[in-house]
Amino acid sequence: MKIFRKNKRCFWLFFLLFGVAAVYAQDIPKPMYPPRLVNDFARLFSPEETRALEQKLRAYHDSTSTQIYVVTVSDLGGYAVSDYAFKLGEEWGVGQKGKDNGAVILVKPKVGNSRGQAFIATGYGLEARLNDAYVGRIVRERMIPYFKENDYFGGVNSAVDAIIERLSGEFDADGQQDNGGVPIGLILVSVIVFIIILRLIFGNNRHINNGGSNRGGGRFIFFPPSGGSNRTGGFGGNFGGGGGGRFGGGGAGGSW
Amino acid sequence: MVEKQEAVASQWGNVQNAYQRRADLIPNLVATVKGYAEHEQETLTKVTEARAKATQITIDPENLTEENIRQYQQAQAELSEALSRLLLIQENYPELKANQNFLALQDELAGTENRISVERNRFNQLVKEYNAYIRKFPQIIYAGLFGFKPKAYFQAADEAQTAIQVQF
Repeated sequence: MKIFRKNKRCFWLFFLLFGVAAVYAQDIPKPMYPPRLVNDFARLFSPEETRALEQKLRAYHDSTSTQIYVVTVSDLGGYAVSDYAFKLGEEWGVGQKGKDNGAVILVKPKVGNSRGQAFIATGYGLEARLNDAYVGRIVRERMIPYFKENDYFGGVNSAVDAIIERLSGEFDADGQQDNGGVPIGLILVSVIVFIIILRLIFGNNRHINNGGSNRGGGRFIFFPPSGGSNRTGGFGGNFGGGGGGRFGGGGAGGSW
Repeated sequence: MVEKQEAVASQWGNVQNAYQRRADLIPNLVATVKGYAEHEQETLTKVTEARAKATQITIDPENLTEENIRQYQQAQAELSEALSRLLLIQENYPELKANQNFLALQDELAGTENRISVERNRFNQLVKEYNAYIRKFPQIIYAGLFGFKPKAYFQAADEAQTAIQVQF
């Protein structure tokens, strides 16, 4: 009798645990912290591959303000792959507010006998150049052939190249500044001016000489926290996460 | 109240645009399929007819009544059905299935269906806000007086209205 009761309790405990897990599985994951463009939840890439991709995407973001997120998940939580990509793009705010120049490359790998699925969702601002037909071709011709060989990095990398190639010249970096609210140049200048003033007031005899690290520390203070984008810390710089871009159903996908 | 009404009206415009976008793709699609599948005249005619019928019905945002939306949805649903039949025939024509133009059109069509569902959801959301607003306390007294009537929703898709499945 006692054992039975114990089992029953175990059963409920399990039920509760799995029930909660199942409810959570329905939700879109939160972006990884610190913010980054490659969110490899399914662990498809090696550390070197992740770094290479991140570097490429970050550089592109810094020069054009266009955010291309690469997201891999091992489970779509019951969503259609397209819905998952739109929802994620919208919730994470991929792209800059007002420009909506974000894209989400979503990859759900082939596991066992469940099909692999991929979708590239384009924000409103990218739809004109990256129309669905073009995106569909990228998925068919530049991603899936690699994915079929289990080369996830190769496929994503070549898709990223194709997107960047297609978008070249469409946006420039100024959108990035909308994001923080205050232009980076202005912040740098005011930090420098601040240091100079400090020096003028206190003279050179204080240990203010380590201006380098001082400037670094200053940045954190001077960046105003803005909705959704948290600039403190970061992969190797100041990527602030999604900028509030919106998605309206553009994009295309495929499966293998 | 006016703003909320305007938001609904402009979102209705977005919904109609998304449907219009689909209608615009169809002549192209029909032309492409024709080149490969001459024997499917009947299916093609049906699509063209359904398209003609669907594009005839537009609703002025002032008249977003249940009856009007139902009619609109009905016409669009018929078009969806005709379209999905058209897309099914590709299984019989391997050359059509591999045609680049056809593949591109299918991507566009799938994207359009996605947009339709996005815009419809937003529309329903805005209608919900608007309806809730005019029924709240102080507004309910004068809303009717100035002609702010509740607006109708898009009905949840039943079988005939679910977005056509485009196979890749």
